[in-house]
Amino acid sequence: MMERFRKALKTIRPEFYRQKNKLLNPYYTFSDYRKIWAIGITTLATAALVPLLVVTVIHYRLIEKSVDSELVLRTERLASNARRAMTFFLEERLNALRFTVNEIRYDQLANPDHLTEVLRNLKLGFGGLTDLSVIDYTGIQVAYAGPFKLEGKNYSNQVWFIECQKGNFYVSEIFRGYRDVPHIIIAVKSFRPDGTNFILRATLETERLIQTLSSYKTGAYAEIFLVNRSGIIQTPSKYYGDTFEKISLPIPDYSQRTQAVMERDDQKRSIIMGYAFITTQIADTPFILMVIKQKAGMMAIWLKLRANIQWFVGFGILVILIVVVITCTFLVNKLYLADKAKAETMALMEQNNQLVSIGQLAAGVAHEINNPLALINETAGYVKDLFVIKELYHKDEELIESIDYILEAVERCGRITGQLLGFARKFDVKIQKVNLKDAISDVLIFHNKEAEYRNIKVNVDVPQDMPEIVTDRGKLQQILVNLVNNAFQAVVSGCILEINASLAGPDKVSITISDNGCGMPAENLPKIFEPFFTTKERDKGTGLGLAITYGLVKKLHGDISVESKENEGTTFTVTLPTRIQEVMGENEDSAG
Amino acid sequence: MKILLVDDEKKFAMMLAKRLVLREIDVDYVFSGEEALVKAENAVYDVAVLDVKMPGIGGIELERKLKKLAPDLKIIFLTGHGSKTDFETGSAEAAYYLAKPIQIEELIRILHEVTGRG
Repeated sequence: MMERFRKALKTIRPEFYRQKNKLLNPYYTFSDYRKIWAIGITTLATAALVPLLVVTVIHYRLIEKSVDSELVLRTERLASNARRAMTFFLEERLNALRFTVNEIRYDQLANPDHLTEVLRNLKLGFGGLTDLSVIDYTGIQVAYAGPFKLEGKNYSNQVWFIECQKGNFYVSEIFRGYRDVPHIIIAVKSFRPDGTNFILRATLETERLIQTLSSYKTGAYAEIFLVNRSGIIQTPSKYYGDTFEKISLPIPDYSQRTQAVMERDDQKRSIIMGYAFITTQIADTPFILMVIKQKAGMMAIWLKLRANIQWFVGFGILVILIVVVITCTFLVNKLYLADKAKAETMALMEQNNQLVSIGQLAAGVAHEINNPLALINETAGYVKDLFVIKELYHKDEELIESIDYILEAVERCGRITGQLLGFARKFDVKIQKVNLKDAISDVLIFHNKEAEYRNIKVNVDVPQDMPEIVTDRGKLQQILVNLVNNAFQAVVSGCILEINASLAGPDKVSITISDNGCGMPAENLPKIFEPFFTTKERDKGTGLGLAITYGLVKKLHGDISVESKENEGTTFTVTLPTRIQEVMGENEDSAG
Repeated sequence: MKILLVDDEKKFAMMLAKRLVLREIDVDYVFSGEEALVKAENAVYDVAVLDVKMPGIGGIELERKLKKLAPDLKIIFLTGHGSKTDFETGSAEAAYYLAKPIQIEELIRILHEVTGRG
């Protein structure tokens, strides 16, 4: 699995990420293409993504802020409306009691029958009243109208009685009292003509109050309830505790106005808390109206939108990154390939220059040697002539033999200097008639010694009727030298090298150079004509020989192909036109 | 057969001349183009054997001048510069090129060939 992944990675890996040919390093314009690639991607990605991210964040913040303030405003408005309803509810009942004590005399109120009549009327007019009682200034209940038997009860120690005595009006918090039923007490103090006072007290059902509060449509994520000033929950709450429990939220500081603030509850949920201290025009009340909205719920649509935007932005970033990576890789790869081509050309040029220099040097040396060689030749020839022609020392065969050795050596030197001069001319473009057999023999002169020494048999087979071809002799010889060199490097002692030439059509000849040496693996065959491809050990091959050969064959309008099997041998086939262009002049000597 | 041998390599010219004389060929040898022109004005030669590269009047120029003096004169060039297939384009009348070091037998054969006395 890993192996397959690694292979896939290898095929998409860009050219510049692969192993570089170290021979080319001095010719590259840039040395570290991976770094250029990384810098390119970073720069482009930064330039493209930073504005996008900044705009996204700003936009997101703005929307969040406006949504928040809208939520706060709506919460405040809801709290304000509910407060007005609550205030009205309590004020209405307090005013009813005040009207009653002002309108009806004490002795009438102290009459239970009359009081029951008043209760019935109040129930008809306002509803929500459970009972009505009259308490004198000592705290004794003097009259009672309602479902319970409470006459004669002493309230002088009760908080509500003391408070009402102090302030003329009283609104209690919701409590259970003697009857163990949640209720509210409202009380009004009034004075009798003798200067003593009495209190008219009414008990209110909480049902009516809860109904009033729940009539506000708050939705699934908001609730309205009452707490008292010490934080005890007065009407049921969904999230913050049962009635008469302490609320799990902080109790806000007193404020005359309705307020709404962003908060976090005990479970770290983000909430919007609206609150109002309920105060009637007649009396203060212990109630705080609470409106709690769960921000997550209220913002669900906005959060969904935000999630969509985040997905969209994320997708956009991904697309930008992919485009940046692909673009960068493509451009850097193009740059690398151009640089590589340049480096290869420069290296090839240098190699060619070296060959030209070697050629020039060889020509100079050969020419300088040729003159003394000619003199040795003539002198030794003359000495031999003296012996042979003048018959002076005719009989001395040993001497004649020695002189023959000198002449043979001179002849061999002459051939070598001739070759060196020929090598020097390989780089001139020169079209001439070439006898293939001679050309091959000339090339093999360089290898005779090595072949003898390494016991390599070289068979040359050129048919007698092979026509001369019109081509560049120097280039042809260099092609042959390179291919023969290559073959010599591939074979071991005792191997055979075959060089054949034959007609390959009416206007083509083919030259094959086969060896039965080590051969090459099939995967290397397509690459062997590439510059700097070498299978030889480091320092032994430049990887240019076959590339130059390929270039030369193409210059001669020919083709070169290779067949090879490992451990069986290699065959190079060069196909050349018999005539690459019209001969400029018949300047050949015919003395050969 | 009378031959004029011109080569600035004096010892080479002398030795080659001696070898030709041994083969009963009549040879005059000089070491420059200027001397060759003087010789050619005063005598008739069948063949001129010329070195291509010489100081002063070179082989190619000398060939033209000699041809003016004696249009029937045959010319053989000697050169230390390259193998026989690599000669530069010479005059159309140039008979043969021979690369140094030369084989005397080949020179003799060519001499006979150009003079038609094979």
